[in-house]
Amino acid sequence: MKTTISYPEKAAMGKTGSWRVFRPLFHEDKCIKCWRCWIFCPEGAISRNELPSINYDFCKGCGVCANECPVNTIEMGREEK
Amino acid sequence: MPLTEVVFYGRGGQGAVTAANILASAALESGNKDVQAFPIFGAERRGAPVKAFARISDSEIHLRSQVYSPNVVVVLDTGIMDTVNVTDGLKKDGTIVLNTPRSPDEVYMPFKVATVDATGIAIERKIMVGGIPIVNTPIVGTLPKLMDNLSIDSVKKAIMNRWKGKAGERNAAAAEDAYKRLRIK
Repeated sequence: MKTTISYPEKAAMGKTGSWRVFRPLFHEDKCIKCWRCWIFCPEGAISRNELPSINYDFCKGCGVCANECPVNTIEMGREEK
Repeated sequence: MPLTEVVFYGRGGQGAVTAANILASAALESGNKDVQAFPIFGAERRGAPVKAFARISDSEIHLRSQVYSPNVVVVLDTGIMDTVNVTDGLKKDGTIVLNTPRSPDEVYMPFKVATVDATGIAIERKIMVGGIPIVNTPIVGTLPKLMDNLSIDSVKKAIMNRWKGKAGERNAAAAEDAYKRLRIK
């Protein structure tokens, strides 16, 4: 049995990345690959590659990933507009 | 100026509707005879684009329609400019206010452009709801600089009337910060 995983797609609201006020910045050096960010991202905007990678087209900058990260390798900075 | 019409563009949860309401009550405080404030939106949901209107007049307002040709356009979130045409119907001599850290010289629009970093002010003044900086009070604070029928004191008074105690003081201070920091091209 293979589990199905959904990823965000462009829908009625278009690309939701423009909603961000804060942007998650991923620092690779500290990542312990626990995948908590990937589990908790409510948008499914984080995918499992070698390391977690964030899809900025759909990330709304909610900060859940940064909050859940046990080693604080994700930091929320201000979005440049 | 017999009739001033303002359109606020924002996202659900940013306070565009409240901004229009604050502007209307501040305009009454400033001695205008009649005001209106009303929103229009599709999905009632955080992040969905919201439009809110305000009308200010020194005589009775008989119009009941949406505002189609505003004198002032206020953009609470520049991110919606990709999907929404914010200058739609803006009068030739109209003003557009943008919430951005950039200077107005970097914005190319055939209108009078004013910019203020309302998000930065909201973060500084700790005006956050659910981790999102609420930019409506600072952005309304910029409008007395652009409208001659409105004073910053009446904006602060309207804010203090709406939120009592510490929250009102913080928001009023944020409005004053924005008033001082507004850059106009």
